[in-house]
Amino acid sequence: MKLAGIRFHNVKRFAGRGVAVEGIEDGVNVLCAPNEFGKSTTFEALHGLFFLPHSSTAGGVRNLRPYCGGNPLVEADIAVGEARYRLTKQFYSGRFAKVVDLASNRLIAQADEAESFITRLVQGGAGGPAGLLWVRQGITGIEPRSRSDEESDRQVRATLLESVQGEVEAVTGGRRMAAVIAAAAEATGALLTPSGRPKAGGRYATAITLRDQLAQEVQRLESEVTALRDELDQRGVAQRRLAELDNADARQARQQDIAKAEHAFETARAQADRLKTLRAELDLARDRRDTAMREHRQFDEALTEARQVTEESEAVTRRREDAVARRRATSETIAAAQAEMESAEADEIAARDLLQLIENAEKARNAAERRQELEDRLQHAESVRATIEHCDAQLAGLRLPNGALEELADLDVEIARIRAVQDAGRPSVVVAYDDVAIANLTMGGIALKHGEERSYDGHAQLVAPGIGTITLRSNVEDRDSDRLERAESHRHTLLASMGVPNLAAARAQQIRVQKLEAQGNEARAQLKVIAPEGLDELRKVVAALADIDLARIEVKADPVLTRATSEGAEQRRRHAMQMIRTTEPVRAHADEAFIAAETALASLRTREEQIAAILGPAEEHQPRLELLQAALADREAALAEAQRVYDAEHASVLDLDAAESALRRVRSVEQAAANEIQQLRETIAGLNARIVVRSDDAVEEKWREQKEALEAAEARVAAFEHEVAVLTRLTQALEAARSDARDLYLKPVMTELRPLLGLLFDDVEIAFDDHSLLPQTIVRRGQEEDVDRLSGGMREQLSVLTRLAFARLLARDGRPAPVILDDALVYSDDDRIERMFDALHRQARDQQVIVFSCRQRAFQKLGGNALSMTDWQP
Amino acid sequence: MMRFLHSSDLHLGKRFGNFAGDLPGRLREARHAVLGKLAAHARQHGAETILLAGDTFDTETPAADVRRQALTEMAHHATLRWVILPGNHDSLQASELWAQLVTEAPDNVVLATAAAPIMLADNAVLLPAPCVNRRPGRDLSAWMDDAATPEGAIRIGLAHGAVQTFSEDAAGAEVIAPDRARRAGLDYLALGDWHGALAIDPHTHYSGSPEQDRFKHDRSGTALLVEIAAAGAVPAVTPLPTASFAWRTLDLHLLASDDPNAALSALLPELRDRRQTLAKVLASGHAGLAARTTLNRAIEHAAPDFAWLDLDDTQLATECDVEDLDQIDRAGALREAADALLAESVDTNNSAGERAIAAAALARLYGYAQQVSQ
Repeated sequence: MKLAGIRFHNVKRFAGRGVAVEGIEDGVNVLCAPNEFGKSTTFEALHGLFFLPHSSTAGGVRNLRPYCGGNPLVEADIAVGEARYRLTKQFYSGRFAKVVDLASNRLIAQADEAESFITRLVQGGAGGPAGLLWVRQGITGIEPRSRSDEESDRQVRATLLESVQGEVEAVTGGRRMAAVIAAAAEATGALLTPSGRPKAGGRYATAITLRDQLAQEVQRLESEVTALRDELDQRGVAQRRLAELDNADARQARQQDIAKAEHAFETARAQADRLKTLRAELDLARDRRDTAMREHRQFDEALTEARQVTEESEAVTRRREDAVARRRATSETIAAAQAEMESAEADEIAARDLLQLIENAEKARNAAERRQELEDRLQHAESVRATIEHCDAQLAGLRLPNGALEELADLDVEIARIRAVQDAGRPSVVVAYDDVAIANLTMGGIALKHGEERSYDGHAQLVAPGIGTITLRSNVEDRDSDRLERAESHRHTLLASMGVPNLAAARAQQIRVQKLEAQGNEARAQLKVIAPEGLDELRKVVAALADIDLARIEVKADPVLTRATSEGAEQRRRHAMQMIRTTEPVRAHADEAFIAAETALASLRTREEQIAAILGPAEEHQPRLELLQAALADREAALAEAQRVYDAEHASVLDLDAAESALRRVRSVEQAAANEIQQLRETIAGLNARIVVRSDDAVEEKWREQKEALEAAEARVAAFEHEVAVLTRLTQALEAARSDARDLYLKPVMTELRPLLGLLFDDVEIAFDDHSLLPQTIVRRGQEEDVDRLSGGMREQLSVLTRLAFARLLARDGRPAPVILDDALVYSDDDRIERMFDALHRQARDQQVIVFSCRQRAFQKLGGNALSMTDWQP
Repeated sequence: MMRFLHSSDLHLGKRFGNFAGDLPGRLREARHAVLGKLAAHARQHGAETILLAGDTFDTETPAADVRRQALTEMAHHATLRWVILPGNHDSLQASELWAQLVTEAPDNVVLATAAAPIMLADNAVLLPAPCVNRRPGRDLSAWMDDAATPEGAIRIGLAHGAVQTFSEDAAGAEVIAPDRARRAGLDYLALGDWHGALAIDPHTHYSGSPEQDRFKHDRSGTALLVEIAAAGAVPAVTPLPTASFAWRTLDLHLLASDDPNAALSALLPELRDRRQTLAKVLASGHAGLAARTTLNRAIEHAAPDFAWLDLDDTQLATECDVEDLDQIDRAGALREAADALLAESVDTNNSAGERAIAAAALARLYGYAQQVSQ
């Protein structure tokens, strides 16, 4: 469809006037006029023509009507393919709608038919977008919207994607859908929280709360009613029981039972007392019988015992005599052995004393011999000691000081050396005689022989017989004469101290000393042998032996003989001892036997006396025994009689315990009944009180009332549940349909939109998701930005572009639709507007774009077919 | 000649918690008012005795005001004799109630609390079968068979309970023998328990409740005036109106083409009667979306006339035609959603509940779409 011309009359401000916009062509058409010239009115009139039923008087139509009233008339010439039509609608009075084929000027539809025709034009088939694509100043849809809607829209449509979606929805009729969804959501929101739970304070939640409260109340009341009924039942039971117990017959029966039991008990007690007396008598008879029996038995036993004692006494007396005899025999044997032993002991002691004496004499002899020897040794030792003392005395005078001898020897050598040195340095004279025979020169009085060199000190005189005296002077100082003198003086002193004339004498003395020391040492060694512990010790030993008197210990006896005597005596003593040992047990046994016999005899005598006391004189034994037997028989008879009487009584006696138990039982029955009556009365009183309270409270009525109320509340909750289910189902269906519509249009529109976006935003790259084909990110100057909040300009540009994309889509489907923009680019800057113009022109190559704008200057650059408004009268 | 009034199931003190507002109070008051109506009928028809065949009180422990005011009202009609039989709701197990009644009852009130003959007149004997507890578990009227009465006296039985059981597990033992009148030689057996008047045989009648308390019986309460000429005669039984409120279930069957307004108007009672009417409109058949909306509005409109009016449209199938759908939208996503819901509402693969929900959702969509369009 394409528009060719628009005309209207009596619309809004143009009361009684008409405006026509003619000559609308393909491509871009621009109607530029200042404000208040009727651009927007044109736009709205066109909208009214296409979207408002001519019969309507709803808000949209009312808006078209001038303030002063009148009947708005709108007319448009359109081309659909080759055909050209004129659509005319008048509202209010004389309202009509008609479609005229311009080619034939034939009316082809009117009234509802005409509406249908128009609807088909704009719908473009089931589910299709509107055949006219509208963009208005600042907003993107044509439907009436409240200010708050726009405001929220501005906030909600924050992203590119949402904007595009919003546009698509606007085009695909999604606004009503949104309104319906909103209504459903509002209805749901009144009942449920966003998370799907009943909303607190909402009617649904209130109904649930009420139901729960009622359920609780019903439960509480039900328990009260149950309790009341229980109490009523309990009281009934208690009252019946009380009636049973408290009934006069029952009372009397219980009393009778008691009286009967008491009588039985008294009877039984009387019988029991009598029986007790009989029992005592029986016991007495038995005691008496027992006493007689005991006496009889005692007497009888005493007789028997008396016989026994007599026999035993004889036996014991025999044993005693036997023991006495044995004791005598053994005593004699032991006495003999004792005597023998004593004599043997005396002999042995005598022999032993003698042997001692012999031994002592022997010892004394040995001691004397030893003293003699020791005395000899002492004498010898003392002589040795004298030798030692002699040697030591000699040595004291002779012993040279230590080292003196060596010093002397060294001194001699030194003197010889000094002399030799002196001799060597001294002037000397040698005479060589021509004729040895005449050699008679003397020097210092000593003949000087041929060739003999003689030295001298200082001066020397040679006497040459015959010649004269020759004096020789050397004039050489005698250097070592002092040393020599000192040495010699030393030697002299040394010799004097040693008391020897010379070294040889000293050596000789030294040898003597050594000889004496050797002699002393030998004597000492000798003494060590003779008196190893020293001389004094030896002397003490000798002194100790000094008082042995050899003469007094002379014994004249033979030791061997004496020892034999001693041993023989010992032998005898042992023998006797053995004899005693052997005999003694025998005697001890005899003693014991004797004692035992004596004891037995004593005891027997005592028994004899006892028995005698019992039995009395022997001649009375038999009569007494007979007497006792008679008494016993009497008492046996008495006992038997008592037993018989007792048994007879016992057999017929009543059981006292049983009677007492029975009495106790009937009394307890009575007591229990009394207690129970009391308790029942109390219980009934308590129940009465509670029942009265509950009855006065009319709990049962309340319970039934609340139960009915609960049923109503449950029904109400169920109704709400149904309502929620319905709303949920509706919302779900709506969401699904909307989602499908988006899938149906959004993706194709995005595909169309993409090149347009590129055209407009050359500095912005919009990245599309390959899969969903939806914009994902914006890359601005190489910087990736989230597609978040969009500027107003961008939003309106997107709005226009989306519609252009739609138009393209429709054109491709062979259903071209005009795009109508009414001051749609108010936020865009000049640069963007030009780009938009480019986009419009590009799109307009094969479709119609109609632009209304008041921005005359800015839109001059748009070019295109300039439209103008002219007055028009229908 | 014996003439008396037979009624039962007064359920004095019943509170009607399932209703709101002042209706429960009115309903309760109406039950009390029955006493006066019974007395008026008795006086008018020359009956001296009013037999109440059980469930005079709704509970075993009625509130003191209920009990005392009832007795006061009975005492007020001093020339009449009231015979009160314990029923299952106010059985003898409610010993408190009966103890109180014994002390409080005026002289003209006879408490038939024992299975023993009561002389109503020189020639008439009443054989009551009081309920000893809530579920007696036996036929309490059995004793009437052997009850000795003076020769030629009119024998009147008074009992409370069902004459047949519909429940499988309920013990059949406590069911009253339907032929008890014949077996016991009764001239009349006055029964209570069933809330609608019902004649079992010429001698055996349920009087029904004089004031209905539920939608079950769909007829207004009555009391029975019984006249027995002599022993062995067939009693003349005349129902007398006693109800203040009518409880009605109105069957509204619609076809898709029917105008719900007209159909409903035809069903609803006279305008002036509506105040005393509780009505439940049971819609069935088919209706379009618009008709449904119309019906709902009509009910909403009529409701204030009534004591209580409710629409049960669960049986009413929604018939949706193309025009209805066009009203939602001719095309687009909304129409798609409407089509989907419609398809679901008639798809027999879905459960009845799901279909009903889909249909209701479609109706709702229709409603919203109408609102949005305007």
